[in-house]
Amino acid sequence: MAPPRRTKSSGPPPPAKTLVLDNGAYTIKAGVVQADAETPAPSIIPNCLARDRDKHTYIGSQLSSCNDFSEIVFRRPVEKGYLVNWEAEKEIWEQEFFDPKAKLHCNPSETSLILTEAPNALPALQTNCDQVVFEEFGFARYLRVTAPTLNAYTDIQSFFKSPARDPNSTAALPAEILMLIDSGYSHTTITPLLLGRPIQSAIRRLDVGGKLLTNYLTRLLSLRQYDMRNDTYLVNEIKEATCYISQDFKADMEKTWKGPKGDRRPVYETGDGIAKDYVLPDYHGRTKGYVRDHDPNAATKLKELVKGKALGASEDVLTLRNERFTVPELLFSPTDIGLRQSGIAQQVMDSLSALPMGLWPGFLANIVVVGGNSNIEGFVFRLQMEIRSLAPAECIVRVARPADPIVNTWQGGANLAKEEATLANLSVTKQEYEEYGAGWVAKKFGSR
Amino acid sequence: MINFGVREVANSRATAAPGWAYVPDTGVNASVTALQPSSRTRVRNQPTASLHETTAKQEAKILRELAALDRENHRDVLIPVPIRHKDNAGRVSHGKSTPAVRKILQSQKTFANHLSDFEAFSSLPAPSQPVISIPATPVVRTTPSTAVPTVASAPHLTSKGTRSHKKKDPNAVSTPTPLRKVSTASQSSTPLPIKSEPSQDIPVLDAPLLSQGNSTVPTPHPGDKDPLLVSRIPIMPSREEIEQLLAAPPMTYIEARGPWVYEDRMKPVRQFCEVCGYWGRVRCKGCGGRVCALECLQVHQEECFNRYGA
Repeated sequence: MAPPRRTKSSGPPPPAKTLVLDNGAYTIKAGVVQADAETPAPSIIPNCLARDRDKHTYIGSQLSSCNDFSEIVFRRPVEKGYLVNWEAEKEIWEQEFFDPKAKLHCNPSETSLILTEAPNALPALQTNCDQVVFEEFGFARYLRVTAPTLNAYTDIQSFFKSPARDPNSTAALPAEILMLIDSGYSHTTITPLLLGRPIQSAIRRLDVGGKLLTNYLTRLLSLRQYDMRNDTYLVNEIKEATCYISQDFKADMEKTWKGPKGDRRPVYETGDGIAKDYVLPDYHGRTKGYVRDHDPNAATKLKELVKGKALGASEDVLTLRNERFTVPELLFSPTDIGLRQSGIAQQVMDSLSALPMGLWPGFLANIVVVGGNSNIEGFVFRLQMEIRSLAPAECIVRVARPADPIVNTWQGGANLAKEEATLANLSVTKQEYEEYGAGWVAKKFGSR
Repeated sequence: MINFGVREVANSRATAAPGWAYVPDTGVNASVTALQPSSRTRVRNQPTASLHETTAKQEAKILRELAALDRENHRDVLIPVPIRHKDNAGRVSHGKSTPAVRKILQSQKTFANHLSDFEAFSSLPAPSQPVISIPATPVVRTTPSTAVPTVASAPHLTSKGTRSHKKKDPNAVSTPTPLRKVSTASQSSTPLPIKSEPSQDIPVLDAPLLSQGNSTVPTPHPGDKDPLLVSRIPIMPSREEIEQLLAAPPMTYIEARGPWVYEDRMKPVRQFCEVCGYWGRVRCKGCGGRVCALECLQVHQEECFNRYGA
């Protein structure tokens, strides 16, 4: 006798493993999550093909084996936050996930995939993505979701310092109301999320991201000190090590001015602690640069020290003064380089203006920043200060940053992967794709 | 007409002719407009009386510099996928690729290409594309009870939130929400006429949509009833309104670009010294570039070639 027919809802058993893939422009945050096992820490994989001076090509995580980053060039499959070049991306994914020797090896036909994308993607790119995921890799189940959305599946109230919470209370996921600011490599997006769903009409994008900041710092350093234009990797490290967001831009600017001829400002040399030296790596003895306080007499001391010694004993130093705070200032004042957009705080208010006023207090009290730029010192404080000055006086403004803002999106995805019912509801299985086609899938993901 | 199946698509802007030609380098090219779109619906309706009109030459310079800041590498490089991986040696085979996938994998289009494709297609009068019919600010507000001006009609609301906030109808109903700590204080002492309203105004459906919170209600204070201290709480949108908001289709890439709001346009743009980065207080006579003082001006003029002979 034939077995009883399965109803549609039961279907084949859901895949036991979920590959959560936060496919950022700069790094991929990836990990395999199983419903009954503990969530592993995600791997952070550079999302690029890189070629060094000796014409050796590194793919993804191979970059960690590189020890000479001078004149290294990159090819990134994700452009402006959107997955554009599948040739390169496939190469990276093949190596990181489908290679039998890979740390995160998984068999796509037995795995479901949660893949992030930036909001407001082009439909053509989304369709390409769906096609490759199902037809080339053949994942059993697939969810394409905007990256900000996943953050609603983390316990956002734990990021805020006040009010004190009952430590035993567990947060219901997804978060009810959340204003998410994602400041990444390509751009900064502002997404209001209600009940774990984005309010599409209020999403705003500021075209300032980590790449623009790095390139701007490169330009300033190349104009003023050494030509760093072929060493963006190094400049990025300098940026991460030294840049901060000023609490008082004008005052800091005064401290770092040398003053007119004949009227030198004494504060200039040390800049009241602002001036820092970055010792550049030479990729022989020193493969990583480091920061130290600026020492006005360093040059003479060094001359004494290396007198009559080998060349390797010397060091190259970049002195950073107003570069330290004028570069990340672009996030708050993009017009400084002629970019005709308002800063982050004003974009948050513009996003709110597209929402009913009844929701304003809720969004203003639950602002979370994620993405690499939020690691810049002073970012959260300044953002809160600026939003506070723009927001209605009666509203409470709270801005918080998760412990690790870079993997928070991934963490949300991992939490979602454990909630089988919600995930099954949101995802599309391979059978459904084959039955209803790409248009149906696009519509299903588009409506979220 | 024989056109070999090639369909010409109406384009919103003139593209550069193929091949080459001597053209002055002041125009706007495709990769640059993606960064800084010149005419967009959202921008169009706002007053343009800005304090900082730029000349075409300065504009071109800014655009060029922004395009340079958007680059991945300083030089143009081509990094091919390593050949030893091209064959499937040591790889899990995913089966035979379909022609569509092969086409995607071989495509070398950049984001700028995709974006101009999208623009070209959306400028076609195609009723089958619902995406392009979204208004610039798709805000749907259907609150019959309040006299709040709709946000869509008032761009100033953007940041003058405080002011419009106070303009609210005094009869606005205060709903207890967990989202506002203020609400709980005034709630306990709301005057009678307001108390009577919720039954007609707020559908019962509204209650479970957002949780009501579990924070403790502060102890009542005699000053709570003072009309000067009562805070007006904006009305919570109804369930249908929220559903409508959530159901709105995504905006396009260009529409989602954050605006340059009116207040910021009115502010003078900060100018910096091109040499040392301090405030740009002096303008070079030759090129109009900014420097901070005479010393930096001398450095600047050593390589200021913008005017012949200067």
